[in-house]
Formats: sequence, C-alpha cells, structure tokens
Amino acid sequence: MATQFIANHNLAPLLVRLRQSAELHGPVRGDDGVVRFAAIAPGTLPDLSAVRTLLPPKKYLLHPQETILKYTVRAGYQMPVEDVHQIILFGLHPCDLAGINYLDRIFLDDEPDPLYVARRSVLALVGVSCSPDEFCSCHQLTSPLKALFDLFFNVVEGGFVVTSGSARGDELLEKVKDLLEERVVAVPEDARRFFGHAAAEATRPEPDATLPEWRELASRCLGCGACSICCPTCYCFDVLEFCGLDNCSASRVRQWDNCLFKGHAEVAGGMTFRKDKAERFRYRYRHKYRGFGLSQGIPSCVGCGRCRAVCPAGLDLRPLAERLEGGQRE
Amino acid sequence: MNNNLPVPAVISTIRPLTVDTSLFTLYTEPFCPVAASFLPGQFLELSLPGVGEIPLSYCGFPSQDGRIELCVRHVGHVTTPLKVAAPGDAVGVRGPFGRGFPLSAYGGQDLLLIAGGLGIAPLRSLLLALMNRRELWGRLTLLYGARETGALLFLDELLELQKRGEVELQMSVDHQEHCLDGPPCCRIALLPALLDQLELDPGRIFAAICGPPVVYPLLVSRLQRMGLSDENIHLSLERRMKCGVGRCGHCAVGTRLCCVDGPVFSFAELAGIEGSLV
Repeated sequence: MATQFIANHNLAPLLVRLRQSAELHGPVRGDDGVVRFAAIAPGTLPDLSAVRTLLPPKKYLLHPQETILKYTVRAGYQMPVEDVHQIILFGLHPCDLAGINYLDRIFLDDEPDPLYVARRSVLALVGVSCSPDEFCSCHQLTSPLKALFDLFFNVVEGGFVVTSGSARGDELLEKVKDLLEERVVAVPEDARRFFGHAAAEATRPEPDATLPEWRELASRCLGCGACSICCPTCYCFDVLEFCGLDNCSASRVRQWDNCLFKGHAEVAGGMTFRKDKAERFRYRYRHKYRGFGLSQGIPSCVGCGRCRAVCPAGLDLRPLAERLEGGQRE
Repeated sequence: MNNNLPVPAVISTIRPLTVDTSLFTLYTEPFCPVAASFLPGQFLELSLPGVGEIPLSYCGFPSQDGRIELCVRHVGHVTTPLKVAAPGDAVGVRGPFGRGFPLSAYGGQDLLLIAGGLGIAPLRSLLLALMNRRELWGRLTLLYGARETGALLFLDELLELQKRGEVELQMSVDHQEHCLDGPPCCRIALLPALLDQLELDPGRIFAAICGPPVVYPLLVSRLQRMGLSDENIHLSLERRMKCGVGRCGHCAVGTRLCCVDGPVFSFAELAGIEGSLV
C-alpha cells in the first residue's frame, strides 16, 4: 500500500517548515547529558534516538507551579489571562501520547479545567515510533488509553512513514507535502498497538494489603517522590495562596504534589490518613493500576519506564502489578 | 457556573460557640447556588483572601437570600486567621460539592443521627432539613458526644428540639469539668456507649454519622450488631479535599473520591477498603 514517506534528509527542512507556524519543541539532549522536552533550536535536530526524556510532556499542560487565580480587593478572585501560543511537540513516543490522552480524560471532562483547555488547544502532537528498552513496559500491558496524535512518524528504512490523525495533522501535512513522497513501504507493526486495546475494567477487589511485597517495597522506598514527578499520568496538585506585599492582593497557585509525601493526606490538626509508607505506596499503586474518580477502572501506567529509570532505590512495581492485575500480558 | 472560581461573600456575624469554635454567617448573592442548593452533608470551599482555601461542611439550611452558616474550629492554616476575622470581611465560596445525606431515601423512615465533637456541624444541617418537613420522617434520635460539657455545640437548639418532642436526644461527654453541671440527658461515657440502651427498629432505620474517625469502627460494629444493614449506615468522611472537583488527587478512598463520590458514604461502599475508617 502506498504511504506518505519522508526521507531522513528531508527531516530538517520539514522542521523548518513546521517552525513557521508554531514554536517547535521536542526531545533535546542538554549539555548535562539529560534529554528533556524543550525548544528545538533552529538548525538542530531533536534527539529521536533517546528512549525517554527525564520529565514527561505533562509539563506543557500542567506547569510545575502555575497561578490559577488572582485576587484583588476591588475585583475579588479572577482567572488569570493565560498567554498561550501554538506549540508543536515533536517526537512523542506512544506512551507519552497515551499519557496525554489520560490527562485529557481528567482535565477535559464535563467541567474542563480552564488553564488545561487553553494549553491543550494550542498543542499539536507529533508522535514518533520507538523501541522499548529494559525499563519500558508498554509492550507488557495493554491499555484502554489511546495514543492519539495529530501526526505520527513511523520509523522505516531511510526515513519515516507519516500518518495524520486529525484535521490539525492534515493541515500540517499540507504545509510539507512537497517534502513527502508516495511510496510503497513495508510499515513495521504499529508501535501504538498496546494502546486502545483493552476496555476500562470493572471494579476489582482491593489489593491485598497483607502481601509481604508491600512491606518490602516500602522499606526500601526513600519517599523522594521522583517516580511521581516523572510520571506522565501523575497529576496530583497542591494549592497554595500567597498574599501580596500590599496586603490587598493575592495569587493562588497550584503546584505538583506527590502522594508519597506524608503531608499528602494531612488535614488541619495534624491528622494524616496515610501514616505509613506502605499505605502511601498502595495509594500510588491504586491510582496507577486501578484508577480513581474520573479514571476509575482505567490503569494509568503507560509503561514509559521513567519511574524505574529514576528510582534511586531501584524499585520496580512491575512484578507486583503482574501478580495482582495479571491476565493482561500479550 | 464555573466551579473553579470562588464567588464573593461577606462575613455577617461571628458567634463564638466555645473557646476554639465559632459559627460564621456569610452572605453571598441572593439565589447563588452555593447558598441555595445543597444537601446536608455536602461541603463548600471557603477562601480567605491572601491565606488560602479549605473545605467546610454546610452547617445550616439552604437559603435563597445567600445566607450560609459554617461552624469553624480554629485549628488550621485558614481557620486560625479566621479567628480574628470581623463582620464585613470579604471571603470567597465555591460549591456545593460532593454527595450529601440521601434525604429522599430517608422518607418515612426512622433516623438515628450520631455526632461526635465537631461532627455535629453537618448533622445540624441535616437536623434543620428534617425539622423543615418533620412530618415526612418517623422517629428521630440524636446521639451526641463531646470531650466535655463546655464543648457541646448548639446545646440550646438541641434541648429546645428535645423539649418540643421533635427529637430524642442523648448526649455524652468524655469527662466533666469540676465547676459545671452537665445539661440534662448528658452522661459521662464514650459516644458508642449511648447505643447500649437504645431500642431501635432495625428494619426501618437509617443511621447518619459524623464524628472523629476513631469512633467509626466502634459505632459501625455496634450498629451492625443491632441489626442495621451496611446500606443503611451512612458515614461522613473527612479527607484532604483540596480542589473539591475530583482533580487534585488527595482524597481517594479506595478507588472513590471523597470530594465527588462522598463525603457521605454508606458502609456498604466502604467495607473492606483500606484506610476508609482510619
């Protein structure tokens, strides 16, 4: 079957063309050796060989800290006016696309979050296929989450096969159509095959809290929260309010929070509802593999492997998840 | 209506109830849904500008003229500064949020209200709703426990209801101060002990409970022994409900969220869930 093919040497001109309509961001290796999503400098290429960035693309949609309300005595609480501009996020792997699909389900529901809506509406998602490494588990668990994209670049010999997944994707393709050629190429199996291939699950019984694995994992966990910070589907946030120096204004900010921290479940008076580390560990587990609230029944682990790659204690939830969730392995 | 944006309200009166607890009356715009359309057991988010926002249970009756009653214990980062608030001060309110007590299911039934300490706040709201249409409900019993007699809230109102024969009231205190006589129908005991001498018709009674988490397991097991089904035992849970709209991720109980699916749950929904009755 004829496909839209772009040769490797045409990638740089394609990026130049894409940059004409929006800011272009993608995985970029910094001088410190860390690969992160950042603006791709003109004349450079994104690092498409990297298996994962340190932080997932959620940072474009939920900033680590952001003002959600402004207060003045005269006007009361007001939504801030968000200054947004078009961004094309190039080089998203299927797991990160599925992560964004998960966040969309939480923040774009019946009562969408205004800041999220503003940021999401200007983001074009360009996926690229990848090969899992030893930390990845996308190929072990199927997921009801869909790896939705505007454009998807499937890596083939000498270039990419490009597919559009939306009207926005069609528009972008139109801009670069002279760089594409129709070619019959053997396309490798869709790297997104693990996503969108399972139904949301009915309620499962509570995870067995008496399993010795919990105690063992919790005893080694340092509670640093790195796994949650770098998780593409961890969205917990805390809300803080700061009074202006004039004592007549204030701003309310939300910032990433972390369910492995003791304060996460603490209420006024110092009572906390998850005192011990194993309880906090299970709280995270439930969210990752069972979901809660709007995401109930939807496992949120997309298998990107970041939590395993960054954990200073080398913890891995996979064996336990396989034992407790079971039956989903391909 | 935007659920993320607090609407302005003004503190109208502040009535100290005990040394650390006050009843605030606020006014927002007439017909504002935050004040007008809530169920007892639901909560709102109260903003104190420059300080922060906290979830508080409704303590009063829905009002078309924008009136909101809130019972506040001054222990937290927002409630402590509220101690020096004055009538006329501006605040913000969002809500109502969550699932309250299922009033419609209570129609024609007996009701057993059990309040521990500050748990009387949402149950006062429930009691006011029941009194508004007293003829719709059967026998009403209120068990109310507090640390000491001085910490019993809304005592005048409760004794008045008892005097009028609307409610059977039994109270307990953990210990009695030396200089004060206890009110009538109050004894020194822990709250669950009040259930010992109670005669109930377990086939037609619902229990609505709000109190410190520590009493829940005891109350639930006694009510079960008295023959109440898990579906008929309703508990209001406290959790850190930061956003109120199911997004901040702090208040999950099992796979349910306290701010959306609760804070009122039937025990049938909570049984077997780790940490639900801490």
